[in-house]
Amino acid sequence: MTSTETPAGAGLAARKPAPVRRHKYSRAERKLRRTGWLMITPALLHLALWTAIPVVATFALGFTNYNVFSPPQWVGLQNYVEIVQDPVFRKATWNTIVYTFWTVPVSMAIALVIAVALNQGLRFQKWYRTAFFLPQVTATVAIAMVWLWIFNPQQGLLNAFLGLFGIPGQAWLADPDWALWSVILVGAWQGIGIKMLIYIAALQNIDGSLYEAASVDGASTVRKFFAITVPMLKPATFFVLVISIINAFQVFDQIYVLTNGGPANATTMMTYEVYRSAFEEFRMGMASAQSVVLFIFLLFMTLVGRRATREDH
Amino acid sequence: MIIKSQSRRRFTGVAALAAVALGITACSSGTSSGTDAEGGSDDVSGDITLLTPIFEGTDGQQLLEDELLPQFYEDYPDVTVSVDYTTYGNLNEKLTTAAVSGAVPDVMMMGVGWIEGFADRGLLADQSELGNTEEKLLETYTPAIVDAGTWDGGVYGMPIMLDTRYGVANMELLEEAGYDAPPSSWDELVEISEALTVRADDGTLERAGFDLLSNDPRQVFETFLFSAGGDLFNEDVTEPTFNGPEGVSALQLMTDLINEHEVEDIGFSSPDAAVNPLLNGRAAMGLAHNNLWTQGLEADPEMLENLEPFVIQGEGEGMFFGGTFATRSATSQHPEAAQALLEFLASPGPALAANEQRGNVPALTELLDSDYVQSNRFVQFSMENLDVAKREGGPPSWLEVRGDFAPAIESALLGQAEPQAALDDLAALVDEAMARQ
Repeated sequence: MTSTETPAGAGLAARKPAPVRRHKYSRAERKLRRTGWLMITPALLHLALWTAIPVVATFALGFTNYNVFSPPQWVGLQNYVEIVQDPVFRKATWNTIVYTFWTVPVSMAIALVIAVALNQGLRFQKWYRTAFFLPQVTATVAIAMVWLWIFNPQQGLLNAFLGLFGIPGQAWLADPDWALWSVILVGAWQGIGIKMLIYIAALQNIDGSLYEAASVDGASTVRKFFAITVPMLKPATFFVLVISIINAFQVFDQIYVLTNGGPANATTMMTYEVYRSAFEEFRMGMASAQSVVLFIFLLFMTLVGRRATREDH
Repeated sequence: MIIKSQSRRRFTGVAALAAVALGITACSSGTSSGTDAEGGSDDVSGDITLLTPIFEGTDGQQLLEDELLPQFYEDYPDVTVSVDYTTYGNLNEKLTTAAVSGAVPDVMMMGVGWIEGFADRGLLADQSELGNTEEKLLETYTPAIVDAGTWDGGVYGMPIMLDTRYGVANMELLEEAGYDAPPSSWDELVEISEALTVRADDGTLERAGFDLLSNDPRQVFETFLFSAGGDLFNEDVTEPTFNGPEGVSALQLMTDLINEHEVEDIGFSSPDAAVNPLLNGRAAMGLAHNNLWTQGLEADPEMLENLEPFVIQGEGEGMFFGGTFATRSATSQHPEAAQALLEFLASPGPALAANEQRGNVPALTELLDSDYVQSNRFVQFSMENLDVAKREGGPPSWLEVRGDFAPAIESALLGQAEPQAALDDLAALVDEAMARQ
């Protein structure tokens, strides 16, 4: 290791290893390289301007008290200490985990069942696929407005439906015992479309001869589903899992429209607290620190997903 | 949206209102003469922006662009106004992002309780330096309204409209139950509310005795706090006092009305309810916004005959007021044009038209005699009782903490926390925010 150490004050040249004979590019190769760089320059600029700089700024602002109207003041880890001690952010973190825990597997399971059903060559299957995918491409605010009506305790569809069976209605979004479950229901429903689409694409890549061989061996439909379909869908499942977890942790729109985090913070989420810190409390430093915490959660989940995918292959 | 091109449109629709508005503006001795007096309208020019949470919706936009701004352009033909419409829900975001980007709108409409924070941060121009002194405003507005637009000795907001909260009783239902007047004390309020609550055999609430849930919980609490004789902050606005005995008793009353007296169930109504329960007979009494009258005119005009407004009486008088003020950016590139627009919008004619469009209460005392106010019993009631009304806000950090009120109040209403504990936790948050200033 000592060979890599550099005396203090030594220049860049001193750290350079022995000169390596560099590959000489031909004129055509140099032109090709220049063209390549030229072509990716817009993307690099976009990445630097809209991703790299904001990310670095977020990390830096997380260590400051910045209220927009006056210059940031360095506060070290104070924001992070406050986050740990803040019962509302702890509640938001827990709600986000509960929301993710229920929306991701539930909507994945439903999406898989629907995808398998729609892969059987049903009549009107294109129509069905469109219908199931529609919530994905509809503005969440519009969807949330519809669900607001469905959940309305007096005139809502859900209570009217339950009333048909003599089941008493609930104040779905006003009762803290039901509010989070109501939001989870909307989240699970909305997430089915994209997952279904990925599963359908993956199902169509499964070699049909596997099913034929299983049929020859006398395997039942259920047996074929668990012995062929589910294992063959593993790469797609892990992909869906990772993007679903990321999406679930970033849930905001439906909270903003349906509950505003209430009642009594029963449905507040990490992203909603970031929003509140930034735009209601003008605490951009705190919002940045909360965003970093959210980022760490997402990074952890993504790494877990990637590790699982790698093990699979 | 650039609307200069629309300034040439012919007036349509409510031309009569515009004519009245013009007439009132012309006859006014109010605050709209500042710019003319300074240099004449011909000298005023520039492209300016207006950020407004009022004039929302198609009706509001038409009023502003087809009626009011053309009047403004008649006096200021070299000024162009770009309007950025928003809602109070999104105003914070707009102002914050504008401040970050350095593109603060020249003229901004903002609410009661907002002025202090933005003035303290140097975002707003001091109107008193332009002749709109506190003394001058007190000639045309009540002191509480003027106070809401001031900060640290300066005047930063010109009042345009108020919105009030007070009790409303369905007198037909009260009389059926043997009561000939709205409650005049908390005890009476509880007694009458209990008497008028109707439940089905299975316990389902059919009619609330007193509706607390159709308004923002913070504003409901504030109204009861004021009726208990309490205030949000001490006199020099250095510490919160809403967690004192008055606040605790106010929140306890709200909690008891729901959990002990069961005059309303959680979920029975909400601030975003399509129809206020007072208008469809689902509530006998309730706390209401003054624009309930305008809603009633559209939903059920006959019902309005039965509705009687009343100030909630406790140790003090419970009436809340918020409102909308016109402010000018301290960094406007065209201060004369921005000032001219601000004073135009705050002048009697445009202010009256804006109030009528939203069913709100004109801030100008002289408008009490206008046809609009005289034909709107709730607005009239508000104006007649403005001297007992109190507002929210006070410290510059108010905007940062006001969002914390609803969860705290809801936690008490839901029985998750005792009123004292809920308010003490909230006061701790407010203290922290005030200390950060």
